[in-house]
Amino acid sequence: MKKSRDKDGGRRSITPPAARETSNAHIIHDLRLERPRFRVVEAARDGQVRYEVRGDLNSPVPPIRESKYLKKEQCLEIYRWMLLNRRMEQALENLYKQGQVVGGVYFGLGQEACSCASAYALKKDDWLAPMIRNQGSLLVRGFSARDIMMQYMAKAGSPTKGRDASSHFGDIVERNVCAPISMLGDSIPVMAGVAMGARMQGRNIACMTYIGDGGQSTGVFHEGLNFAAVRKLGLVLIVENNLWAYSTPAEMQSAVEDLAVRALGYGVPGVIVDGTDACQVYDAAHEACERARRGEGPTLIEAKMMRMKGHAIHDAAGYVPKEVFAFWQKRDPIARLEKYLLEKKWITAEENKALIEGVEKELEADREAAVASPMPEPETAAADVYCEEGCHEIKLKYGAVKAKVAQKEDSKPKATDAALHFK
Amino acid sequence: MPAITYLEAIRQGLWEEMERDPAVFCLGEDIGIYGGAFKVTDGFIHHFGPERVMDTPIAESAIVGAAFGAALTGMRPVVEFQFIDFIGCAFNQITNTLAKSHYRWGAPAPVVLRGPSGGNVHGGPFHSQNPEMYFAHTPGIKVVAPATAYDAKGLIKSAVRDNNPVLFLEHKYLYRRIKEELPAEEFTVPLGKARVARAGRDLSIVTYAAMVHVALEAAETLAKEGIDVEVVDLRTLVPLDREAIAETVRKTNKAIVLHEDTKTGGLAGEITAVIHEECFDALDGPVVRITALDTPVPFSPPLEEFFLPEVGDVVREARKLKAY
Repeated sequence: MKKSRDKDGGRRSITPPAARETSNAHIIHDLRLERPRFRVVEAARDGQVRYEVRGDLNSPVPPIRESKYLKKEQCLEIYRWMLLNRRMEQALENLYKQGQVVGGVYFGLGQEACSCASAYALKKDDWLAPMIRNQGSLLVRGFSARDIMMQYMAKAGSPTKGRDASSHFGDIVERNVCAPISMLGDSIPVMAGVAMGARMQGRNIACMTYIGDGGQSTGVFHEGLNFAAVRKLGLVLIVENNLWAYSTPAEMQSAVEDLAVRALGYGVPGVIVDGTDACQVYDAAHEACERARRGEGPTLIEAKMMRMKGHAIHDAAGYVPKEVFAFWQKRDPIARLEKYLLEKKWITAEENKALIEGVEKELEADREAAVASPMPEPETAAADVYCEEGCHEIKLKYGAVKAKVAQKEDSKPKATDAALHFK
Repeated sequence: MPAITYLEAIRQGLWEEMERDPAVFCLGEDIGIYGGAFKVTDGFIHHFGPERVMDTPIAESAIVGAAFGAALTGMRPVVEFQFIDFIGCAFNQITNTLAKSHYRWGAPAPVVLRGPSGGNVHGGPFHSQNPEMYFAHTPGIKVVAPATAYDAKGLIKSAVRDNNPVLFLEHKYLYRRIKEELPAEEFTVPLGKARVARAGRDLSIVTYAAMVHVALEAAETLAKEGIDVEVVDLRTLVPLDREAIAETVRKTNKAIVLHEDTKTGGLAGEITAVIHEECFDALDGPVVRITALDTPVPFSPPLEEFFLPEVGDVVREARKLKAY
């Protein structure tokens, strides 16, 4: 480090810029092939305030961006997960209409590429924390449609034994999935902590979670991303910018148009992808996961797309201008990927039909099993609040702690300058 | 063995647990090279290294969230709150993420949340609070509040080994004021077990943390008047030792519940209800609550002294109850 003399007689040392460049050298990568140019505004008309859209909604649908990494078989697998995700949610909607569901149903319609292609980039030892709409991510991670259906039906055999609903479940043993809570953003520091725990055991892993354009407004988003950035933890944070947080448009959540630019403020790379293009989502997620596994720290990925239903099944989303739905309807992630696969001749029309039938058959079996399964015994409500003796063995997931155990013999406290005014 | 302070007892307990189990690590604000605002982790970073004695950004939600994440991989994190007052910043992570994880999805959360609590040090509204009831009210969390150096050491060790989130309240007034000779050999104190701090026949004072010492002092004064007081130190607030409470009331037939926390919604109300549920027939008088006022903790010494329960309050109430 060079010292430079200043007016105070050279006591101040200056850190040359090169020493800090690792944390501030990032730029925002934009993988999109189109950049929609419209925004939602509040407009008063005839004594009513409504959301209206301003800008160009007539641009043509872009092609799927060729993936740098995905081969034919992988594309087909992602396509099947997306189909399963959507058809399962259609089955859930039907179960709701039949009165089989307790509470509401949350949909990821229009966001299947984001859920499925991102989770597809994870390896077995990596971790995932879904949000409410990432039911596709749970399928990719190894849960069955039956698990999710039973969650919604509050069955005894659901992953939470009827104690919680929807995508609120996980598995710390096999699938490395952390159950979310309803409060937005709290999984971000949790996933940073999983990466931290793994690193203490000598492993750098990728820990993926999601946040929305609305959830990005929370304080814990900032706390969690900053924590991960400072410690270079392998967080892969996907901002699902689906334009609506319940009924509030993204324009009223944030003054920046591209939510990925926030990455720069944390000293981490930011990436923008078209969230309806599975190949873009995968490529960005894959590169972020690889970066995490190299121990280089977190990545913020913004996936731009549209929530194609209301907040939950009760919400008809009448506040959304119809032309916005129409714009994104043309960019349906499954239709786009299907067209891409057919055009590349990676799947024939017959194979596609057989694949869809296979998905339907799987869902039908899961639906029947879920419907037939029993509700929980009432008394089980009282169990398992605490982890009692013999209930769980706490084991190191990645073998052994590699962090230094001891350095120095001297354990005596020194004379302290503790907060002595507190006495 | 030389006598050691309450603070040193916590420090030794944590140190021994970190030596025993490499999965145990500490994280918090200024706990590394600085050794913590009160120096509980003084010297830890040199011995255990910066990976296990981790200075964090000032971000309590992230600290608690990250601790939970690390626990999911089998680690046993110990979170320090610089002052326990700041636990409010992590309220959601504690009550919704940690407390409910085992019940909801079978994920144990062996995370210790520790920090200096309590007043009588003129710390004002944000450096003197007793936040136990926010968390005692939340199923899934254990709450510990030791009153002696022996219990502080034995209980921090048990808290680290427990498979649940444990809120460990260190009374900062006691940090350097009390000293005790501790056994040379290793010991733990089980969670959920109260102790009789002073045996007596005429009436019982059920209390915890710094107020144990107020109760004992009052008992000495009352003894001179021929009132023989039994003092029960709860040590753990959740799970509450209902048997120990019932046992002392069955013995003396009269009970005062004393704590430094404020009155409305304080643990005293819960203990009173427990006495009614367990041993109503044994009572020869009303259960008396002695607590702080229902106000924020005021800063100026005369105000804080008026706010806190003191020996004189206990003596006065005990005389009345004895005569009842």
